[in-house]
Amino acid sequence: MALTEDDVRGIAEYATIALDTEELAAMTAYLNDAVDMLEPILRYAAEDVEPTFHPMGGSANVMRPDAPDDVRALPQDEALANAGSRRDGQFLVPSILGGER
Amino acid sequence: MRELNDVLRDWEAVIGLEIHTELTTLKTKMFCGCRLSHDDEPNTHVCPVCLGLPGALPVPNRGAIESIVKAGLATNCEIQRRSMFYRKHYFYPDMAKNFQTTQGPVAFCMHGRLGIEVAGRGAAERPECAFGASEAESLASASANAAGLSRAMAEQLPEGADARPSAGGAACGSAGGAVCGSVGGSADATAPRGSVGAEGRGSGALAVPVRHDDGSYEATIRILRIHMEEDAAKMVHVGGEEGRIGGASESLVDYNRCGTPLIELVTEPDLRTPEEARLFMEKLRRIFLTIGISDCSMEKGSMRCDGNVSLRRRGETGLGAKTELKNLNSFKALHDGLAYEICRQADVLESGGVVRQETRHWEPSRKRTVAMRAKETADDYRLFPDPDLEPFDLSDEFVEHCRAEIPELPDAKRDRFVRDYGIKRPDAEQLAGDPATAAFFEESAAGLVGDAAQTVANLVVNDLAAHLKASGSTLGESGISPTQVASLARLLAADAISSNQAREVLEAMAGSGEDPEKIVDERGMRQVSDAGALQPIVDQVLEACADQARQYRDGNQKVIGFLVGQCMKASHGKGNPKLFNELLRATLEG
Amino acid sequence: MSENLDSLTAAQIASGVASGDFSAVEVARAALDAIDSRDAQVRAFLQVTPELALAAAEEVDARRAAGEELPPLAGVPFAIKDNMNLVGTRTTCASRMLETYESPYTATCVRRMLDAGCVPVGKANMDEFAFGSSTESSAFHPTGNPWDPDRVPGGSSGGSAAAVAAGMAALSLGSDTGGSIRQPAALCGVVGMKPSYGAVSRYGVVAFGSSLDQVGPFGRTVEDVALAMDALVAGGSDAFDGTSRAVEASFRAHVNDDVAGGRVGVIPELMRAPGLAPEVARAVEEAADALAAQGVELIEVDLPHLDAAIAAYYAIGPAEAFSNLARFDGVRYGYREPGCPNLAEQSAKSRARGFGAEAKRRQMLGAYLLSSGVYDKYYYAAQKARTLIARDYESAFGRVDAILMPVSPTAAFKFGELSDPTQMYLSDLFTISINIVGNGGVSVPVGLGADSGLPVAAQLVGRPFDDARLLSFARAVERGLASAGRGLAGAVAPLFAGKGGDLA
Repeated sequence: MALTEDDVRGIAEYATIALDTEELAAMTAYLNDAVDMLEPILRYAAEDVEPTFHPMGGSANVMRPDAPDDVRALPQDEALANAGSRRDGQFLVPSILGGER
Repeated sequence: MRELNDVLRDWEAVIGLEIHTELTTLKTKMFCGCRLSHDDEPNTHVCPVCLGLPGALPVPNRGAIESIVKAGLATNCEIQRRSMFYRKHYFYPDMAKNFQTTQGPVAFCMHGRLGIEVAGRGAAERPECAFGASEAESLASASANAAGLSRAMAEQLPEGADARPSAGGAACGSAGGAVCGSVGGSADATAPRGSVGAEGRGSGALAVPVRHDDGSYEATIRILRIHMEEDAAKMVHVGGEEGRIGGASESLVDYNRCGTPLIELVTEPDLRTPEEARLFMEKLRRIFLTIGISDCSMEKGSMRCDGNVSLRRRGETGLGAKTELKNLNSFKALHDGLAYEICRQADVLESGGVVRQETRHWEPSRKRTVAMRAKETADDYRLFPDPDLEPFDLSDEFVEHCRAEIPELPDAKRDRFVRDYGIKRPDAEQLAGDPATAAFFEESAAGLVGDAAQTVANLVVNDLAAHLKASGSTLGESGISPTQVASLARLLAADAISSNQAREVLEAMAGSGEDPEKIVDERGMRQVSDAGALQPIVDQVLEACADQARQYRDGNQKVIGFLVGQCMKASHGKGNPKLFNELLRATLEG
Repeated sequence: MSENLDSLTAAQIASGVASGDFSAVEVARAALDAIDSRDAQVRAFLQVTPELALAAAEEVDARRAAGEELPPLAGVPFAIKDNMNLVGTRTTCASRMLETYESPYTATCVRRMLDAGCVPVGKANMDEFAFGSSTESSAFHPTGNPWDPDRVPGGSSGGSAAAVAAGMAALSLGSDTGGSIRQPAALCGVVGMKPSYGAVSRYGVVAFGSSLDQVGPFGRTVEDVALAMDALVAGGSDAFDGTSRAVEASFRAHVNDDVAGGRVGVIPELMRAPGLAPEVARAVEEAADALAAQGVELIEVDLPHLDAAIAAYYAIGPAEAFSNLARFDGVRYGYREPGCPNLAEQSAKSRARGFGAEAKRRQMLGAYLLSSGVYDKYYYAAQKARTLIARDYESAFGRVDAILMPVSPTAAFKFGELSDPTQMYLSDLFTISINIVGNGGVSVPVGLGADSGLPVAAQLVGRPFDDARLLSFARAVERGLASAGRGLAGAVAPLFAGKGGDLA
C-alpha cells in the first residue's frame, strides 16, 4: 500500500523536518520508490532465524567501572560553545507551546 | 463529589504505578563517567556523551546494572540474563540525542511481587465485597486487559525475537490469554516475606487478599518489570506562570541530570485503593533505601511516581478508560491524588459522562487534578535495539555477586526485631524501614529484650523521630549516639524520669553530647519513686479534690487521670506518675 | 637534488624522518605546498590545517632532537574525513548543519594516528553525513577524481581517497558504511581498507549507521595501509566504544607473509552481475591470476543470500541514520533557524535547512521504517536476513581464507552521471554485504582499465578479525601485478604528480 502525502506529512512532523508542498510531493514519490526497493526483504520476515542486531557476534556484557572520568568532562563554556542560543550557563530554546503562527 | 469509601463500594478502582528511581548512590552517570550532579552550576557535569555531541558513544555503568539486579532480587523479580538496551525516540531537548536509551520487551528484572499489609483506617478503603472469589476474577481480568506489555509476550519470546513493546504504554491487544499462574482462592495471600529472588514462574501468581477480623488484610502486588534507563535534562520555563510550560516565552536547558542512571518499576494493575498504592510505594522505598541504591527522596525528585487509574462497576471484567496522574511527589500526594481522581472519575461516569484517556496533573494546594494533554493516539517512539550497546548475557557469578551484597531486607528485619527484641510489630516495622534507624536501634538496644528493648524502640520511634523532625536534621547529623539513647532508656526503665521528661533530656543530649544521667542529675530532673515521699502529696491532693475522690469511689475510674495530674503538679513534675497512680488507687480503695 | 613527496610512501617518509634524511617540518611544508598547488583543482579538502600540521611536525622534530625513539609514522602527512573530530578543526560532515561546528574532543582513530606520529594536513570532503557514493552531495563543493577531474572520486570518503591519489597526503582516514572507503579507493586508484567491525574505534566519528560504520585507512601501497592499521589498533580496544575489540597490531609484520597454499574464493555468479563493466571483470581476473601465480588455490564459493544484502542495507542504514541524526536540532550545536516563535518550528526548520536532500530522504525513510507496524516488515526482517548472509560468509570461509570480488561495477563516472538514487544504490552491490555482516574488506588497484583508461580495482574480503591475513593477500595481488608491469602501487595520479610537493 503506497504512502500518501498525508502519511508523509505525519512522518515529517515526527522526524521534525519542515517540508513545503513541493518537497512533500517529491518526498512521497521517493519514499514509495525506496520502500518498493525493499521488497526483497519482506520474505525474510517469516524466516525462522534469530535477528542480528549487532554484527560480529556481539561481545556481551560490555560495562565500565563506576568511576568518574574527569578528563572528558567539559567546562561549562565549552559545553555551550556550539549552541546557537544560550543564557546563564544554559541552552536557550524558544517557547515550547506558544507563538503558533 | 462523593466520598472515596462510598465511591469504592460501587466502583472498583484499577490502579497501576510507574515508579522512577534515580540511582543517586552511584558515582557516575549511566553511559559516561560524568559525576552525578546534585544542585551544581548548570551544565558543569557534562561530557560529549551525555550532551549527545556528534560521534560520542555510550558505555554502560557496571554499578548501575548491579543496582538494578539488586532491586530486582529484593522485589522477588526474575533476573533476565539476556536483555538489551533500546532507543526510544522523541524530539524534545531534555534528551540530548532526541532519544532515550532504555530497555525493550525484556527488562533486566521481570515478574516480581511485593506483599503489603493494610491496617487501620486505610484498610476500610477496600470494601468488604472486594475480597474472596470476586477478587480473583477482578485481578485476572484487570491484568488481562491492562495496558502495557503482556506477560505472555515478554515471556514466550527471547529478547529480540519479538515485536517491540507497543508505544507509549498503549493497550497491546493480543493479551487475551496473558495471565498465567494459578488464580487460587486459597488463603495463601502473603508472599514469603523478605525472601531474595525467589525464582520460577510461580512468582506472578495471583494471590487474593484475605481480610482479618480487625479489618486488616494483606495483598500481593505483582511487579511487571524493572528496567534500566537514563534520566532527562532539567528544563526551566521562563516568562510564564510559576515556571509552568504554558505561557512560557522561552526555556532553559541544563544537562547536569541528563544521563543519570534511572530505574523504572512498573506494577501490574493489582492495586485497588489509594492506601494500597501509598503502602506499596512506602514499602518499595524502604527496600531501595535498605539495598542502598538511592536516597529515594520524593521531595528532591530522586524517586518519582506516576499513577494509572481507571474505574469499573463492581463485578465488571472490562476496563474503563484510564488517566495517568503526574506530580504525585509525596506519599500524601500519591494517596490524595489517586483518591481525588477516583472520585472525579466516578462523578463523571455517574453523571453520564465519559472519562477521557489523558495525563492529569495533581495540584496539592487546590486538591484537584487538571488535564495536561489528551492522549488520542498512542505515541510512536520508534523503538529499536541500540546498535552501540551490545546485548547483555549476565553470568551466574554476576547475579550471585549482587545477591550476596543485599543486606537483610526490611520485612525480615522487622520479623527479627519482633522475635529477638520482643518489641511491638508496628514499631519493628518502622525501625526496620530505614537502614540507619534500624542500625541505631540495634546498637541502642544491644543485649536488651522485652520491656527494656521496647523502651528503646519507643524512644527511637517516637521521641527521637519527633526531635529529628523538629530540628530538621538526620540521625547522623543529630549528634545523638546509641549509647546516650541506651542510657536514657535505662533511666526510663528505672522510673528515674517520666516519659515526658525524656523529650527534654533528648533535646539536651543532642545539644551537648552529654550522658543523660548527668543531664538528669544536673537539672534535678530525677523522678521521685519513693512511696514514702509521695504519699503525703497524694493525701494532700485527695483532700483538696474531695469531689473527684468521691466520683472515683462512685465508680468513675477515669477521674484517676485528673488526680495523677494534680499530684504531678504538686510534686513539680518530679513524682513518678505510675507510682502516684498506684498510691491514689490504694488510698481511695483502701 | 630535491626530492618530491610523490615518490615517497608513508613507510619511506617515516623512515626518512627517523634517520634524519629530512625533517618532519620539511615533509609537512612539502605536503602543504602540494595541497596549495593541486587542491584548487581536486578540491579534496574542506579545511587545510597548516598550523596543526606544522605544530605536530615540530614536535616530531623536537623529539628526534631530544634523542627519543620516534613513533612508527612520525612525520607522515595524513588527511581526515570530515566526519571525524579533531580539536582545533571544524567537523562539518560536509553539511550546512555543521558548517561552523568545532568539536571539543578528538576521535579515538584520529588520536591514535596522531600518537603514531602522523601530521594532520586537513579535513577531507565527503558526501553529506556520508550519504552517497560520489562526494557530490557535499554541501560545499564537489571533489574531482585526480585521474580525471571531470569525474567523481567516489564516496562517501571521496576527499580522503582523492587527497591520497593526488599526493596531497600519504595516508588518510575514511569511514565505510556500505563501501565508502573501498569504492572511492577503487575509483581513485589507491588502497582502501574497511577493517572488521569493531577493529577500529568509532568514538568521535559522526555516526551514520552504527552497526555498519567502520573506520579505515587509505594509502598508495598495501604496506602503508598496514602501517596505518597498526596505528589504529595500537592500544587495544577503546574504553569509549563498547563495540570495539582488541586487535593485535601486527599488520605490517604480516603484510609480506607468503600466501602460497592459501585458498581464495571466487563467486562466478557475481562476475556475471548485470552492469559489471568488462574492464572491471578483467581486473578481478588479473588479481586472481596474480594470486594463482603465487601458489594460491582459487576455489568457487557461493553467497546465496547476497541479493538480500542491498535491501537489508537500505532498511538498516536509514533506520540507524534517522536515529543518529535526530540529535541535530539546532539546540546544542548545529544550524539554528533564527526568529522562530516556538521550539517545534525552530527544530523543524533548522533540520529542513541544515540538512541536504539526501540526508532528509534517508531520515524520512528511517523514521518510516521504524514506525509501529512497519518495523517488523522491513527492519526486523532485515536483521534476520543479516543472520542468513552472515551464515553464507561463515560457510564460505569454512573453505577459503579470503574471497575475491569486484568493488565498484565501473570505473569513475562523470559528475551527475549517476543521479538516479536507485541506480546509485545498485552500484553498491559488491561492497554492502560485508557492512551487513561486519567482515573486513580491502580494495586493491589493479591498473588502468582497457576501456576507460581509469583506475580499476579488485576487492578481497576476509574472515572476521582476520584483517592482517587479508592484507597479506592484498599485498600478494599488488606484488604480483607489479612484477607483471601492472598495478598502480605507489603512483600519484599523473595529472598532479610533481606539482608542488618538493622537499626543500
